[in-house]
Amino acid sequence: MLPKRSLVFLNKYYGYKERLKQDLARRRMTLDEELADFIESPVMIIIGTRNADYVPEIARGVGVEVDRATGTISLLMSAWQWPETAANLASGAPIAITLARPSDYVCYQLKGIVTAARPGAGDDEARAGRYIASITSVLGGLGLDTMLAEPWQTDRELLRINVAPGQVFLQTPGAQAGRLVAADP
Amino acid sequence: MTIALAELASCFEGVIPSIITTVAADGTPNISYLSHVVSVDNGHVALSNQFFSKTAANVRANPRAALLVVDALNGLQYRLDIAFKESLETGPLFERMAADLKAASLQISMGSVMRLRAIDVYRVLAIRKVRSPVMRAAPVPGMAGERLKGLGMLASALAEAEDLAVLLETTLASLRDEFGFRPAMILAYDAAREKLTTIASAGYRTSGIGSEVALGDGLIGTAALERRSLRINDMSRTRRFGGAIEASGSTRENHTRTISLPGLPDAMSQLVVPLVAQHQLKGVLVIESEKRLAFSPDDEVAMSILGRHLAMALSLVETDPPETPAARTVGGTGAPAAGPVFRVVHHPIDDSVFIGNEYIVRGVPGRLLMSFLRIYLREGRREFSNKEIRADATLRLPDFKDNLETRLLLLQRRLQEKHAPVQVERPARGRILLVVSGQPAINDAPED
Repeated sequence: MLPKRSLVFLNKYYGYKERLKQDLARRRMTLDEELADFIESPVMIIIGTRNADYVPEIARGVGVEVDRATGTISLLMSAWQWPETAANLASGAPIAITLARPSDYVCYQLKGIVTAARPGAGDDEARAGRYIASITSVLGGLGLDTMLAEPWQTDRELLRINVAPGQVFLQTPGAQAGRLVAADP
Repeated sequence: MTIALAELASCFEGVIPSIITTVAADGTPNISYLSHVVSVDNGHVALSNQFFSKTAANVRANPRAALLVVDALNGLQYRLDIAFKESLETGPLFERMAADLKAASLQISMGSVMRLRAIDVYRVLAIRKVRSPVMRAAPVPGMAGERLKGLGMLASALAEAEDLAVLLETTLASLRDEFGFRPAMILAYDAAREKLTTIASAGYRTSGIGSEVALGDGLIGTAALERRSLRINDMSRTRRFGGAIEASGSTRENHTRTISLPGLPDAMSQLVVPLVAQHQLKGVLVIESEKRLAFSPDDEVAMSILGRHLAMALSLVETDPPETPAARTVGGTGAPAAGPVFRVVHHPIDDSVFIGNEYIVRGVPGRLLMSFLRIYLREGRREFSNKEIRADATLRLPDFKDNLETRLLLLQRRLQEKHAPVQVERPARGRILLVVSGQPAINDAPED
């Protein structure tokens, strides 16, 4: 039997946790559409993974889409350019993705689970090509010599990675950096 | 092929953000963009830790991290395997990074915001070049050999210079010839007023001789205050450093009695090096370029060595030569010259001097000019010596480190630039000759 004070504490704690869950769910509902639009705009895509020994890897993505019905996202990445990351994409593997808008540094980080990874097919190459062209144009518009960005992205040996996001963090530099903005209810 | 950290110098210029991935204790990866990564030595890199970040927390649980850096010259990417080693809150490396961060903050008007809490040092375990879909030329090899040769030439030239004017001209000419560095300017420090004054410049639209920067103000003032060099390699988002840089115009000068600092309107790179000798700040050297990444870490080292030589040379030229024999006097007396009358107005409040309504100079150089002119009118004497100036209590020279040569040079240059009817010449070290074309009429302005 727990002392009365502990019971009060636990009640308070679980009440707080429940309210937090509801709060986060509500916030997710209101942010989903806005986030989806942001994610699909020309943003820099970085992919973070790790192997079984917890050694981290890093890669750039070349396109991302949001399935608004299920809330899952689908990424494109070159396995030719990032073979170490490609090796970390088994189903169920944890993954982090940052999406950063170069013009104002607005950045979100999604953390979730890989649900599938398969070679690109159909019009994936064309999608990657459109993404590379649009982000290069944005960077060029901000004064970056686009020659510098050419080595960063390629559509060679594309992989399509499906991700079920669990949490979304705001990562824009400043006081709000790292704030949880949405989580799986 | 093994890649050495030293080959990646252009990845650590802060032009293109570096990115790090770490793993939390529960196995969740985390990605962070990094504001500042520096190469410490051949085996370590350091990251700034301004906030208690997720990255900092993760590497304390799991030290391994993946770092992606980009060569700012050709866009090639490198993937570094690193392991957290230690966090530093003091020491030379911390100080260096804090100064770099402050310089970066000054660029974006955030001087007080980006305070460095600590730096995290990582061991570099492996470096991999990321496959690139496009071919790129190999990075340019280090220029250290060339820089050393250039420094040798410059040191010889400095050793030959006999007076301040030659010393400064030689320095600016050698910077252009041996290093390709132009525009450049040299500012002298006045400890009594805590101000830096431009005494020489080259390659600017206006010379800005006599313009001032307060100690601690902007990039130049900060480099002087902290006595460390500051290097900025991408000013595309930046504001200009200390002191308003406007088109220097006589109208503005005459109104405010201040001279605009010279500046390159579209400078992309700047290097500011303090000139220090015997623990004394003598001034600063500023070089600028319209190119991104114009100055490498090797250049910064080379300019810091030059800065020390120049500071020593500046100290030496301030020492008076043995008394010049009278035989060498260049006919320094005689009746005042004939010719048109020109009006000289002296404002005692700040010792500013105007000739024919044109602002010339103020402060000690202003007092010197008035003293020469009054003696000239009273005695017809045109030649003066450093020794007698130092002995003249009415000139109120600071009794220690009076920078007399610097002040005389400033006066000489301003009179030349204004094509004034009175000019100062230096017939020999420690001697001053007044050349007057016309008849000066002195007015002491009422206190303003």
